[in-house]
Order: sequence, then C-alpha cells, then structure tokens
Amino acid sequence: MKSLRRHLTRTLLGAIATLGGAGLLALILAARDKVIDQFDDALRTKAFVISTLTKPGPDGVRVEFTDRFLQGFDDRRPRDFFEIWDPAGRQLARSESLGKIDLELRPGLGTKPRFWNFKLAGGQAARATGFTFVPKAPAGATAGQPLTLIVASRSSGLGEDLSQLLALAVATGATLFIATLWLIPRVLKKGLEPLARLGEQAAAINSNSLATRFPVNALPEELRPIAVRLNDLLARIEHSFERERRFSSDVAHELRTPLAELRTAAECALKWPDARDSATDRETLAIAEQMEGLVAHMLALARSEQGQLDARRETISLGTAVSLRWGRFAERAASRGLEVELDLAEVAVEADPALLRSILDNMLENAVEYACAPGLISITVPVDGGELVRIANSVDDLAPADLPRLFERFWRKEAARSGGRHFGLGLPLARAFAEAMGWRLEAVMRTSDVFEIALLHPTNASPARPS
Amino acid sequence: MRLLVVEDSPRLRRSLGTSLRQSGYAVDLAGDGEEGLWLATSNEYDAIVLDIMLPKMDGLQVLSALRSRGGRAHVLLLTARDSVSDRVKGLESGADDYLVKPFALEEFLARVKALCRRAYGQKQDVMKVGDLEVDMLKRLARRGGRPIELTAREFMLLEYLARRRGEVVSRTEIENHIYDGQIDPISNVIDSAICSLRKKLAAAGDESLIHTRRGMGYVLEMSNEEIG
Repeated sequence: MKSLRRHLTRTLLGAIATLGGAGLLALILAARDKVIDQFDDALRTKAFVISTLTKPGPDGVRVEFTDRFLQGFDDRRPRDFFEIWDPAGRQLARSESLGKIDLELRPGLGTKPRFWNFKLAGGQAARATGFTFVPKAPAGATAGQPLTLIVASRSSGLGEDLSQLLALAVATGATLFIATLWLIPRVLKKGLEPLARLGEQAAAINSNSLATRFPVNALPEELRPIAVRLNDLLARIEHSFERERRFSSDVAHELRTPLAELRTAAECALKWPDARDSATDRETLAIAEQMEGLVAHMLALARSEQGQLDARRETISLGTAVSLRWGRFAERAASRGLEVELDLAEVAVEADPALLRSILDNMLENAVEYACAPGLISITVPVDGGELVRIANSVDDLAPADLPRLFERFWRKEAARSGGRHFGLGLPLARAFAEAMGWRLEAVMRTSDVFEIALLHPTNASPARPS
Repeated sequence: MRLLVVEDSPRLRRSLGTSLRQSGYAVDLAGDGEEGLWLATSNEYDAIVLDIMLPKMDGLQVLSALRSRGGRAHVLLLTARDSVSDRVKGLESGADDYLVKPFALEEFLARVKALCRRAYGQKQDVMKVGDLEVDMLKRLARRGGRPIELTAREFMLLEYLARRRGEVVSRTEIENHIYDGQIDPISNVIDSAICSLRKKLAAAGDESLIHTRRGMGYVLEMSNEEIG
C-alpha cells in the first residue's frame, strides 16, 4: 500500500459504485415489477369485468358491454382484446378489436388468472391473462358450462415506460458516480490532513530537532495515541542523544588539559632540548596515567548507564570490607590532619565484591579529599541493616544547593581540575554501581558543616533528615 | 618583556614557563586565581596568560577584578571551553585573545608576541633606531647591516628599550620587565647590563644610541633625537 489516500479513494469509489449500481438495479427492477403489476391489475380488472358481463346464451355466450364502457375492445382503437372458449375449444366470443387475428388458447388455465407476454400478428408486444370461469346465469336458469377467457392488451407503452425509467436510472447513477469521483478525493484529503501534517512534522525531525513535540490536543482523537507514543519516543531519543553528546563533550573537555600538558611538554622538549630534564618524562607518564584513569572511569560509567554491568552476588562481611578499604586512605587522612571514628558492625550482605570495593573507595576518597582540615570523619556500618554504610565528614565549603550536583558527571566544587587528581566521576560511578546492585547512594547535609553520604537498601531510600 | 602565567595545572604551568623563558620573556607563575590577581595587580606585566578554570577564583573573575582595578595588561585566556559563547564571554570580560587547549606551542608563542607588540603599539617584527635593527622574530640585532653578538638577557634589554624607543625607561621598569623582580634593589646589575649593551652597540657603529638621563633612566635613540 503506497498511499493510504489513493487506497481509500479506490476502495470507496469501488464500494460506492457497487452499492450504487446494485441499488439502482434493485430500484429499476422494483419499479418495473410495480409497472407490470399495475398493468396486470388493469388487465385483470378488464378480464373480471368481461367475465362478469358474460352470460350464458342459447347458442353459447353473450357478452354485454358497450364500447363506451370498454373502448379499447372495439375495432376503431384496438388496444385490448379478448376471446372466450368453451371446454371443447370452440371459440364462443371475441372482441371486435381482434379483427382477423386470434389469441392463442393456452392449455391448463385454471380459475386463478395467469399472465404472459406474446407478440401480436404485427410483431407488436402484448400481455395477456387467462382463466376459466362459469358465467353467472340469470335467476332461475341453469348454470352454464365453465369457459376459458383470455384478455390481452398491447404492452408497447409499458416497454417505453420501462426504457425511460432505465435511462433515468442510468443517468442518475452516472451523475452520482461522477460527483462521488470528484468529491471523495477532496473529502479524503481534507479528512486526512491531520495525518498528513503529522507525517510532515515527523519527516522534518532530525538529530538537531529532537526537542520537537507533536501537539497532542490539536490532533483528532484517533491520532492522539500515536502522537503521545511518538512524543514519548522522541523524549527518550532526545535524552539518549543528549547523554551521548554530553558524554562526548565531557570526554573531549576533560582530555583537553592533559592533552595540552602533553603537547606543550613535547614541543618544549623538541624546541629546547637543553631545557629538558628528568621531570619531563615523569610528567609525561603522569599525564598518560591521568588520561588512562579518566578513560577507565568514563567507560565504567558508560557501561553502567547502558545496563551492561553484570553484578555477581557473594556474601560479604561489610564491616571487614570497609575496614580493609579504609586502610588505603588512613595515611592520607592522617596527613591532612583528619580524625577518624570507626564503628563497623559485622553485617553480611549479598554484593558484587568489585562493585562494592569501588563504591567504598569512592565514598572514602570523597571524605578524605574534601573534608575540611582539621576535621572529623565518621565511618559507620550499623548493626541494623537499614543503612549499609554511612560516612560523615566535616566540610566548610559545601552548601545544600550543591547536593544534587554531587552525582553529576565531572562536577567538582572547584571548577579547576585539582591538578588532575580528581575527575568528578567518583560519586556518579559509585551511585551507578550501587544501583546496579539494587542499592542507593544518597547524600545529605547533616548540619551546616557536616556532610553525610550513605549506602542504602532500596527500602530505606532516604537517610534521616538533617536536624 | 615580563609575563604572568596563571594556570592551575602544574605540568602545563611549568611547560609554558619554560617555553616563554626560552623565548626571551621574564615570566612569573601563579597556580590559582587569588595568587594570579595579587601578582597581576602588584606588578606591571606586558601580557598575562590566564587560564579560566582556576581554584579559589576563576580566570574571568580575575580578569574582571584586574580591569576594575585599572589593570591594562593584555590578557590571553587559556581554556578547555571552546564554544562560541564561551569565547564571546571571555572576550567580553576584557580579554584580548583566546586560545583553546590543546594548542600548538608556536601558536601560543605567536599570540603572546602579538599581545606584547600591541602593548607597545607596534605592528612590525623589526624595529629600527638609526642604523640599528632589532629583529624580534629572529632575535637578532644588527648595526649597519653587521650582526651584534648579544646574550639572551642583553637582547631582552635591547628589545625592551627598542619597543620604548625615544622614551626614558627607568631602572625599576627594566627590573620589572627583564629580571622578574628578583634582583637586589641596591645592586648595579642593571647599570652593568646597560653598560655592556652600550659597548656592544658602540663597537658596531659610530654613534652612541643608549643615553643616560641622570636620576631618571635610559633612552634608546639617535643623538639628534635627544631630549633637550
């Protein structure tokens, strides 16, 4: 089906032509039957009149009627004819209008009138009726024998009427068909305009106009579900495109500085070889490691967002796991002058060891790097399994308005890059890993100078509100 | 020429400092916005290379604060942001030029050089004072067509005097623009450098070009252009 409009036009025209033709044919047949019925009624009436006026006579029968009564039977304007036969087939009476011709005696006629068509001697069309009857004898006389009466009339007028009716019906049908032929495409075009507009709007959408939405309320009821679904689809595609664009843009942006460092260092070393020292090579390696770390984090985050993480399940003692991971950060915390309080209960959880390790590392690193010094870090694994891990640390530059941005990719409180040590990917990655295991990671300001981040079961989605 | 580079990446800061010094500039380095603003307002720089994303105070804030305090040094913004709106925002904040990371070192040096030329209202790479030609591009000096052997520091001094030819240049200005402000105020390093440069120029030509204005400083010009 290449065009819905053309298909509908053809189908509707075919259906209307078929139904209209059948209707007209039925009308013609009904009208023809009616005309014939009326003709037959008239013929029957004439026959009954003749049979009523037929009296038995001594030499046969006597038909008592006048030309004024039935003018068509005289020989001046011969339109109607009759003949009467006795049971032996002898002709007893006939109309003057017959002249020298005879009507055909049909055998087997009963008392119920029968009708038939025939041709007169001159080839003219005629219609006849015939039946048997017993002429009513005058009072006191014996009843006569049954007679056969055949009455006929010229039917050429009937044929002309039927021809005119047919011509009228054909002309009317043709006119209606031509009108329909003109009307249907226009009606369909008008009726399908909303669909055509929807199609044009859909065709105009490309990767740069994914913010387009179809005006659902302005559409006909039948198209609204389509527009709603298309809008939903567009929203998802736009979100996906936006995420991809942001991902590419973020990667490009974050790689610009290490690339600038690398390029400038290399060009400097080539241009002024004497100025090159051993620090140059160490720095080149550090830049490469930084870019490698950035790419690894980005890939992990992308895989997580695309649902490609396949979290395994193992029983892990959470208190031990946190204690082991903390060992990597204890020295750094001490060097920054941070005090640490550990309250680690041995709680068994079902978790992916690698993902849990990464979540804990990011939570702990965040606390150690961003706690204000001197300050306090409190790490808790509660006995009650509502919260899995809770880490609180003192802060002096974090506001409640910053909390929603903590889990945005590449967000850092300081716009600068912290010397390439932090990518702004740790917490987004930790949250993505937590969600991959059906957990949640949420952050609150416990007080204006205490930040708290908690790893939670989904049933305990929100840590207690700050006091 | 004395420059200030404000860049939070230590590695990039180091490379830029090295390349600029190797190109004959006196360079001060700062790692965050506050330090950069302090240096920019405390010293007189021919040009400032300013990163936008800086700790403590971002580059655009530094630029606005510098301009509001009357700082007129030409500023080259360095940034990883490359959208048109970012560039427009940077230039509208008072920057003179904008360079997106990563960049070619040659382009960076060329842009810094262009800013320094603009600082002295010059458009040519070769400056002439009488029969003395100072080629900034090739970093060569000739007199009467004969090349003059100069150390890097001597050439920087000659270049600075040539850019301000006809003007009296004070010792403090020379100290600030050529020596990173790191010399002892009571030493005679500048007088010695002037003396050495004057001798080399005199050896190459008949006429003395560097003249002393007692109590004021030095001026590079032909004798008949001397200030009365």
